Formats: sequence, structure tokens, C-alpha cells
Amino acid sequence: MSAAASGSAGLGTQLFRRKPVNHMRAGVEHGAELKRTIGTFQLTMFGVGATVGTGIFFVLSEAVPKSGPSVVISFLIAGVAAGLAAICYAELASAIPVSGSTYSYAYAALGEVVAMGVAACLLLEYGVSTAAVAVGWSQYLNKLSDNLFGFQLPSALSHAPWDDDPGVLNLPAVILVVLCALLLIRGASESAAVNTVMVVIKLSVLAMFIVIAFTAFDTDNLADFAPFGVSGIGAAAGTIFFSFIGLDAVSTAGEEVKDPQRTMPRAIIFALLTVVTIYVLVALTAVAAQPWQEFEGQEAGLAQILENIVGSSWPGTVVAAGAVISIFSVTLVTMYGQTRILFAMGRDGMLPQRFAQVNPRSQTPVFNTIVVAIVVSILAAFVPLDKLADLVSIGTLVAFIVVSIGVIILRRTMPDLPRGFKVPGYPVTPILSVIACLYVLSGLSWITYAWFLVWLLIVLAFYFLWGRRHSELNPGALVVDPDDPNPAGDR
Amino acid sequence: MTIVVGFSPEKGGRATLELAVLLARSGRVEPLVVTTVTPQHWTTPSMAKVDAEFQAWATGQGDVALQQAQEFLAGKAPELDVSYRQVAGRSVPAALATACADAGGSLLVLGSSRDSRPGQVVLGSTSEPLLHSSEVPVAIAPRGYRAQCTAISRLTCSYSGAEESGDLLVAVAEMSRRVGGTLRVVTFGVRGRTMYPPEVGLHAEDMVLDRWKTQVGTQQRTALDRLSELGLLPDSATATIVTGSDWADSMAELEWQRGEILVVGSSPLGPLARVFVGSRATKIIRYSPVPVVVVPAAVASKVAEEVETESAAEVKD
Repeated sequence: MSAAASGSAGLGTQLFRRKPVNHMRAGVEHGAELKRTIGTFQLTMFGVGATVGTGIFFVLSEAVPKSGPSVVISFLIAGVAAGLAAICYAELASAIPVSGSTYSYAYAALGEVVAMGVAACLLLEYGVSTAAVAVGWSQYLNKLSDNLFGFQLPSALSHAPWDDDPGVLNLPAVILVVLCALLLIRGASESAAVNTVMVVIKLSVLAMFIVIAFTAFDTDNLADFAPFGVSGIGAAAGTIFFSFIGLDAVSTAGEEVKDPQRTMPRAIIFALLTVVTIYVLVALTAVAAQPWQEFEGQEAGLAQILENIVGSSWPGTVVAAGAVISIFSVTLVTMYGQTRILFAMGRDGMLPQRFAQVNPRSQTPVFNTIVVAIVVSILAAFVPLDKLADLVSIGTLVAFIVVSIGVIILRRTMPDLPRGFKVPGYPVTPILSVIACLYVLSGLSWITYAWFLVWLLIVLAFYFLWGRRHSELNPGALVVDPDDPNPAGDR
Repeated sequence: MTIVVGFSPEKGGRATLELAVLLARSGRVEPLVVTTVTPQHWTTPSMAKVDAEFQAWATGQGDVALQQAQEFLAGKAPELDVSYRQVAGRSVPAALATACADAGGSLLVLGSSRDSRPGQVVLGSTSEPLLHSSEVPVAIAPRGYRAQCTAISRLTCSYSGAEESGDLLVAVAEMSRRVGGTLRVVTFGVRGRTMYPPEVGLHAEDMVLDRWKTQVGTQQRTALDRLSELGLLPDSATATIVTGSDWADSMAELEWQRGEILVVGSSPLGPLARVFVGSRATKIIRYSPVPVVVVPAAVASKVAEEVETESAAEVKD
């Protein structure tokens, strides 16, 4: 595509051109067997399964030092923000039933340049969270092998160079990422049944934690409830938000949900209530069981707390084993999400076509998966957990704000678009969602903002220099007609 | 081009012979070598000569088997040039492979395992090892196969879009020119399973499948263009992409004719000169309702090379 041709459309039109919605529905016929079969319970399981496990196993040691015992309130605030955003998410997903997550919704509703900005956020939400989760997994793996076999990897091989306890690289995290990439290349996936089993494992482990930690409940530990005041609560909420990502998984299943107008908000609320209840109980019993000053730098936190309470290693072992199993599946799922978002971008011409190339042997996007695995491994190997967690939160929050604004914009620009689900209490709900997300954002440190801006600028620069000229929406680009029943053609 | 038949009367022998007759009769008539493998006797003579007795019994069994084959073929295809051989061996697949090489065979015909349901192609203890070691193409008849026609009506080439399957297609087109029958190019696609929890929506794999279809469509067109450049593209050739939620589903999408043969290539991951069936081909074979011919990657690329030199020579003339 020549620069002259792309320039002729006018830069403004080009930046805010939107992908036609019916164009994006291409290829949905194979999901036919899934049509309208999902009920409230299963949908709730999606939400709980996707959310629990991303952060709760390790976020306390990052968040409690910022807020003290009032971390409990931070969990509530982050939960409310995530819930409001998930409801907005559901409307957008039902109006634009396509894969590729928020990126595709933004492309259809708000235009190309916004979609690219959202993509930058999603790369943080999925890519960086895969790395963060892998780092957390490595802590629990070390804990488990120490308890079972008395063997622990040397610090050099289990810590990032800029960690509080500096090492060379985080080897277990890299191995986990590579294993997940191999599974994805082979075309493995987690079935609904496995998801349910994983949910049960995670919930049992956390329930065990709550029960045992409750026996050591000491109100003295809560006496200094908010040592850093309101700002501390906000700061912790920003970090904690990380543990609520995944709640949007409920919203993306909209097409198959029976009676979405009723089921969708119920499932989001049930999932949110379950998750918030568990998180708050875990946080409350944890901060009541040990003084808040002790959380800082605690690795495999939940397992460590239980061992300190009971004075024996078995509860820690059980928690660590549960965490090792369930976090593995979380890594697989988030990494999968990352590859499919990049796939959608490659398909749209926002990234080189190779990202949307399917390997004929495995019928999976192998190149794409390898790139994701390499980048995520590097992040997981060299960047400590606290830095990663905040970046994930900022990316997710910005994406959620765009979604909430997108609901309002789409209601105005395309009021007649069929929507399987409409946000109750419009326009108050999306506005509240934006405010809640902004509040949580305000707690993050300026360094996180700086990194985020740098990253956003890199992605947008890439768009201006490359993506803008290669977009499939450019005149003359190879656009595959979705209405053509047999694109290969009989010869 | 000699066709070697691995025959064992109680192991789907009739189906094997039916397929061998169909293959031998299609195009120019080919000679058949019916081979049966009997157990090798113990080479150290024992005092009571039980080994000699056993060998006599085994040879007798082999003769009975060959007699059966002879009776069947005399009735079914008296015009064919058939020879009968009995070989002794400790391993049936190894003995068959040697016998095939000795007879100068270019195709080995086998039956399905007795564990299979009628009409199904299931690899047994003879075909399974051969599919991982044979140096010539191997044809496998479904259980209880009856040809119901006198010549191959259509050759279906399983084309994956990977590099090596281009050569396979040339080889199959060349075969279709030689033996007659139309040519069909089929690519099988299976939709990836949905990931749960569905963080990017339940349709992410439809997007991948859709893209794959476009990609394979282009590859099929390029491959057919190559055939037409080589002068191997019959007018009746068709190309299709079938997809399903799993392999059985995808295979069930296709219509099959009487006298149709499915040709699959072996994976290039195994030793180059031999058949090595990959995981995808194994599944295609398992769900095939028609006889399957498995072609080693080396044989396919050799044929493709020959055809290309030939066509280049013609252009020069």
C-alpha cells in the first residue's frame, strides 16, 4: 500500500475508521453446537475460574505493605470497579459478538487508533499477567519442593535480577511458560470440565486457608487498621485490581448464554460476590493472623502464613500443591488469550500477517505462540512480581474505562444495533464504572504511569508507521468476503 | 510395477485380495504377488524332531492359505498374472517387507485388524509397524471390503498444505493419469477446542479456523496450478476443504464413491526414505470408509522430481 493512497483517505477518517460489525461475524457458524446452552451456574463458574488464581495467591505480599489491614477495603473497592466494568463489557460483547476481546469491540465501536490503544492495554492485561502469574507459580513450586523433598532452587535461579532478593533469572517461571506454549502449539485446550475441577481445587485450597487462618485470628493485628490512611487503601486497590482480571470472561460468552438479559447480570454478580467474599475472607484472616509489617517480601505468602500458624509444614504443602496445579491452568488460559488477540490483530492487518498464520500441520498459530512465549519468558525471567502486577492493573483498568465509554458511544452512534444484553441503569452504570476505575487508577505510582505511557507510545508509533498503512480496511487490501460460502472455490 | 499382497486367510484375507484386484486391474494391468508368512522353525534340530514336525505343519498351513487365495483369484480375476509365495519369518511385518523387496514390489497391500468394525480401516500388528517402516507405499483395505467395481473411480489426495504434501499431490495426479479415475484434493480441518474459561470469547477458534481455510484455499490453488503446469491436471479434478469439530466429523462431511481410494502422505518427521504416519494421518486413516494408500514422503518427492524433469524435457523439445 503506497503512502499516497493511504494518505488520500484523510488522516482523521483513517484513524477513526471502524470495522463493520457484520464483517466481523465471519466464521461464527462452527460455534453452532454451543448456541444458547450456557446457564447461570456455568457462566458463574467461568467467571470464578478465570478470576480466582490470577492474583490472590501472591498479591497480599505486594498490597498489604501499602495499606496495612485496610487491604480488606481495597479488595471491596477493586471488586466493585471490576464488577461495574464487567457489566459494561457484557453489553459491548453482546452488541459486537466477535473474538479478540476488547480490541475487537473497540475496533468496531470507536475506530482503529483506539483499538490499537486498547490492544496496548490488552498486551499488558494478558501478556504481562501471564508473566506475573508464572512468577507467582515459581514461588509456590519452590515452596512445595522445599516442603516435600527439602530441596529449593538457589536464589540465582528463582529470582529476577531486580528483585528484593536479586538472582539471575527465574527459571521455573520460564519453564512453565515454555510448557504452556508447547501445549498451545499442540492444540491443547482446557475443557469446561477441567475448568470446573480447577475452580474446585482453588476454592478448596482457599477455604482451607480461611479456616486455619481464622484459628489464629488476633484483633491486635487489626488495631492499626489503616496506617497509611485513605491513600494507602487506594494504592493497594490499584495493585489488587490485578487479582480481579478474568471477570470479563463472563461477558465474552454472551452469544451462547440462555436468556442473556437475565442470566448475564446474575452470573456477573454471583461470580463477583463469590470472588469478593473469598478474597475479603482470605485477606481478613491473613491480616488478622500476622502483623501487617510481616507481609513484605513474603514468598508463597498463603502457604507461609499457614505454616507459621500451625507450626508444621503440612497445610503449607497442601496450599502450595493446590496453587501449583491451578496456577498452571491460569497461565495456559491467559497465554492462550494473548495469542488469540494477536491473531485477531494480524488478521486485521494491524500486525504483520505472520501473526495470523496457521501452521498447516498443527492447525494452530505457531509463529504467534512462539513470539508470545519468548516475550513472556523474558518478562517472567527478569522482572520482579511487584513491577509486573502494577502494569497488569493499569492496562486492565484503562481497557475497562474504554469499554465503559464505548458503551455510551455505541448507544449514541448505533442505537439500533441489536444487543443481547443492555446495561441496567444506563447511563449511570457506565459512568460509575469509569469513575470507579479512575479512582483505582489514581492509587498507582507514577513509575507505573510512566512505563505505561512509554508502552502506549511505542504501540501507537508502530501503528502510525506500519499498521495504518497495512490495515485490511485500506482500499485495495486483500479483504476476504465473509459472505462467500466457499472461499477456496471448487475447481 | 508389481503389487505385493500380504495374505492371511483368517485376518481379513478376502478384503485384502479384493483391494489388490481393484488396484491391479486399474489402468495397465499389474502382476500380483500373493505372499503369506509362516513362522520360522527353530534352526537347531531337536532330538525328537519336533521342530521339523512343526515346520511341516506350518508349511502345510501356508499352502492351504495360498490354495484359498488361488481359488478366490481364479474365480474373481482369472486374467491377472498372479504368483504365490510363502516366506518364513519370525516377524510378519519384517518378513513381508523383505518379500516385497525381493519381488521388486512397488506397492504393499494389507488388510485391517480383526478388531475393527466392518467398513473401518484399523491398523493391526502387521500394518502398524509397516506404516512406520515400509519403503514402498502401503495400501490398507477396510474390514470386509468388497470392491463392487472393476477399476478405481476416483483418487482422493489428502492435502495438508504443508510443503511435503505438494509432492504427494503430484504423485497422486501422476497415479490418476496412469490408473484412470478422477482426482479430488481434500484438506481436512478440525476446529480447535474452545478454551475455558473463555477469556477472549467462545469463538476465538472459529477465527483461527476461518483464517486457516483462506490460507489452505490459496495453497490448494497454487498446488493445482503447479499440476496444470506439469500437464497433470484432469478437467474433472475438484478441490475441497472440509472442517468439523473433530476428525470423525470432518471426515463425515465428504461424499465417497464406489471404487474410491484415499491417499495420505507420511510425515517428514520420521526417517526420510520410509513411511512414518503422523498423528493427523493416523486419524484420517482411522475414519476413512474407503481403502487408504499411505505414500512415504521420499517416494512422493521422487515421483514429483521425475514428473518435473519429464515436463521440463518436453518443454525443451
